Amino acid sequence: MSTVDERTPEAEEPESPTNRPPGMHLATRWMERPYARRIILLTVIISAVIIALTFVMVAFMNLSGGPASDIQGEIEKTMYVLTFTSAPLMGFTLAILTYSWWGGWGKVKGPEEPTEEGPAIRTNGVAVVAWITVCSLLAAFLVIWGLVELATITASSYGSVPANQQPNAAKAIDINVTGQQWVWSFQYPDQGKITSSELVVPINVPLYFNVTSLDVVHSFWVVEAGVKIDANPGAITNTGFTPNKLGTFNIRCAELCGLHHAYMETNLRVVTQEQFDSWVREMGGAKTS
Amino acid sequence: MSATAVIHEQKHVPQPRQVGKPGGFLHRTNFTTAVISGIVLAAIFYFITGAIVQKVTGGGQQNNLSLPDGLQQQITMMYIGWIIGFMAGIGAFAGPIRWMLGHDLTHADAEYMAGKDMGRKKFWKYTTDHKVVGIQYLIVALILFGLGGLLAMLIRTELGVTWAEVFNPNFYNSLIGTHGIVMIIAMIIAVTGPLGNFIVPIMCGARDMAFPRLNALSLWLLVAAIPPLVSNLLMGGIRDGWTVYQPLADQAPVGMIGYQITIIVFAFSTGIASVNLITTVVTMRARGMTWSRVPIFVYGVVGSSIMGLIWFPMFQYSQILALSDRVLQTSFYTPASGGSVWLYENLFWLLGHPEVYVIVIPATAALLEIMPVFLRKPLFSYKLAIAGIFGIVGLSAVVWVHHMYMTGWAPSSNYPFMMSTEMISIPFSFLLLVMLGTMWRGKPWMKLPMMAVYAVIWNKVIGGITGVYLSDTPVDQYMHGSMFVVAHFHFMLMGAGLFGAMGAIAYWFPKMTNRYLDELVASIGFWTAFVGFQITFFAMFVAGLQGMPRRVLQFDQAFNMANWISTVGAYVIGIGMLIFLYAMITSWRSGKLAPGNPWGAHTLEAQTETPVPHENFPVLPVVTSDPYDFGVPDPYEMLDDAELEANEGVSKVGAS
Repeated sequence: MSTVDERTPEAEEPESPTNRPPGMHLATRWMERPYARRIILLTVIISAVIIALTFVMVAFMNLSGGPASDIQGEIEKTMYVLTFTSAPLMGFTLAILTYSWWGGWGKVKGPEEPTEEGPAIRTNGVAVVAWITVCSLLAAFLVIWGLVELATITASSYGSVPANQQPNAAKAIDINVTGQQWVWSFQYPDQGKITSSELVVPINVPLYFNVTSLDVVHSFWVVEAGVKIDANPGAITNTGFTPNKLGTFNIRCAELCGLHHAYMETNLRVVTQEQFDSWVREMGGAKTS
Repeated sequence: MSATAVIHEQKHVPQPRQVGKPGGFLHRTNFTTAVISGIVLAAIFYFITGAIVQKVTGGGQQNNLSLPDGLQQQITMMYIGWIIGFMAGIGAFAGPIRWMLGHDLTHADAEYMAGKDMGRKKFWKYTTDHKVVGIQYLIVALILFGLGGLLAMLIRTELGVTWAEVFNPNFYNSLIGTHGIVMIIAMIIAVTGPLGNFIVPIMCGARDMAFPRLNALSLWLLVAAIPPLVSNLLMGGIRDGWTVYQPLADQAPVGMIGYQITIIVFAFSTGIASVNLITTVVTMRARGMTWSRVPIFVYGVVGSSIMGLIWFPMFQYSQILALSDRVLQTSFYTPASGGSVWLYENLFWLLGHPEVYVIVIPATAALLEIMPVFLRKPLFSYKLAIAGIFGIVGLSAVVWVHHMYMTGWAPSSNYPFMMSTEMISIPFSFLLLVMLGTMWRGKPWMKLPMMAVYAVIWNKVIGGITGVYLSDTPVDQYMHGSMFVVAHFHFMLMGAGLFGAMGAIAYWFPKMTNRYLDELVASIGFWTAFVGFQITFFAMFVAGLQGMPRRVLQFDQAFNMANWISTVGAYVIGIGMLIFLYAMITSWRSGKLAPGNPWGAHTLEAQTETPVPHENFPVLPVVTSDPYDFGVPDPYEMLDDAELEANEGVSKVGAS
């Protein structure tokens, strides 16, 4: 049997029709359908809008002067990563939604029941497998990113970063934070146990907080530094950060703690080391370090 | 769904002896006798407990809450008296007592209890017919939504008036807590109550639920549980949000007891209803309705019931222990005496999170049921939808700690729980694909139920993406406890849950009430509420991003603009919901009469006539296919096949 066929004329196109069109061929054919390009275009547009919106979101987060620490910087970076990862899926979903809504595939109006039926697509193996794969990979990426970021911010908030890697290699300041209905108080054990109702700290020095409560559950939230931990009665919880921006920032209570929960707020004042030292002397404390 | 008539031989069942006239004691009981007997027993319990406490302590002592000694015990016993009295007065104990006396219920008794030929009176009685219970659930849900919505308007008023305190902080905090728990209860019953009871048995081809009397019991337990909750506003309120974290809740006045009793009773009600629904679906499906022919809405309701059955007891335990701390001076949650506040938080969130899926899953499944009908296409990947539902049911058990990322309870547990929380987006994406695939190339019939599908997918996308932020511990460190969280869960519970329920109710309204829902007025209401919803909660996202904590009544000036916008949006929602309610009421009274199958659906409930006859089907149906056999052969596929054939023809010629 000869392998060369003499009777059929040579195909004009380089890729002549074959028994089973390869994947590329199928995809090209699919793209020729009238709706395919429009949905892809819509997906791209909507994803771009979503990505642009992330910048608006982060701008809102920074409206009050943040980020005031590396932790808040990491949080904002994570917001970008999460949105960029989800945007294509979201864009695709909203593209189909919009396309169907505007009647791209036609629509039936009025009280009369529709007379014609749609295509009987029970399932589509390619679509299902592709969707599950893409969603799982994206979710896996988000999980891995989240775990790494969590480890990063835990390291910088619990003070477990080795001293020589910390900014200025400074010694951490311990601060005991106590919540009670409805005020915060801050005690500096290393600075002669001075107590203040306002959190005053030097810039670029790691802070380490021992947080507790005298009565009910409060939540210690340093807004622009991106640090939050519950203050529980009968337990001490820990967090920390290194302020990297001079200025006055907000501290709020983020857990409903009774009548005047709304008024349980104070300021974080980040000052230079010299200002901090003179503030400590003013408060009657002694610099021990 | 093609239903073939098969007549089953009626077996002769030996009947017990009829004692008295059918129904007996139940002739005398209705809602009024229940209220009277509830109040009477509550008063008796209150005074007896008072007398006992007086005897034991000698009276006149003050405890640390500066309440008269024994008042807490008295209030607790009063509520218990109310529940028992109400249930006795409605006739809930008639059945068990007759058993004890040896007078079994006869068929005539059962028919009386099912409200046969009783007219409107049956809606006020201990009626066992699932259709009556469904309507009753709908009314209860509407009342709760009305109350919760009114409280929401008050909250937004306070937050919109940024220059003054409209309410005192105590009342404001009570508003927040009551709004939260009332809406949670309303949302939990909104779909599985009315539609689960009315539609699911008919969808399965059953004559009633598996346990008709338990069905009535679950409804009336719910009704009995509402007054203690609402009465808290008169008794010092629940000032602690719907989560009522300890030990703050321990400081609250006696109104807190109302909350605790309500949750304990409501958990019984939910458990009973869940068992009933699951048993009905498992054992009473029509002949031929194999597990791969069960409508997806039934799967949704079963999934929701499974979660309710497993996780509601956790919430119940948390409140039993809290009540015991308060009334019996135990110290489960008091750190000073060796208790732990984290114990409460864990118990609470063990239900607190699955409860979100208890609400969202049936609403989503109802929309999956609606889509094939309005697109005249089969449901895309039916089995993937089932996998999605049960994937969520399974994973819902292992995500609760994401509410506790910032509590400091166990910082290292944040890693696995962040992983499980982000994993739950995978089964959710299954359901999303099913929706998109069904929509793909379909020609939608633009009626209100289908509109709800579009609205809900939009809300879910927004709720989903913001959920991605919150599930991520680092970002949650900023977002936790802020208005961002509030906006996010309103997008899930209200945006997906309530708007989905509105679509589902619009879809089954003709079946339940015999009349069409006024399309025009209801649509105006629906879209007004939808637009208001977007305004309210997008503004709230902004407030949260700026760093506004939740549950505050005064705040930094930086948040003023966002809150003004949000309040205006909230009033728009209120107007829209009132229009929708108006459409429901007028259509119910005098709408256009609907035929048995108004939308051309293939499910069993569309095959029986409207109004649904006494035992649903004159002859029990037999199912021969799944309910999604819509559609014509795909023209593109036919084109492909034709080309393939042509190609094969060419190659055959070539090979020869």
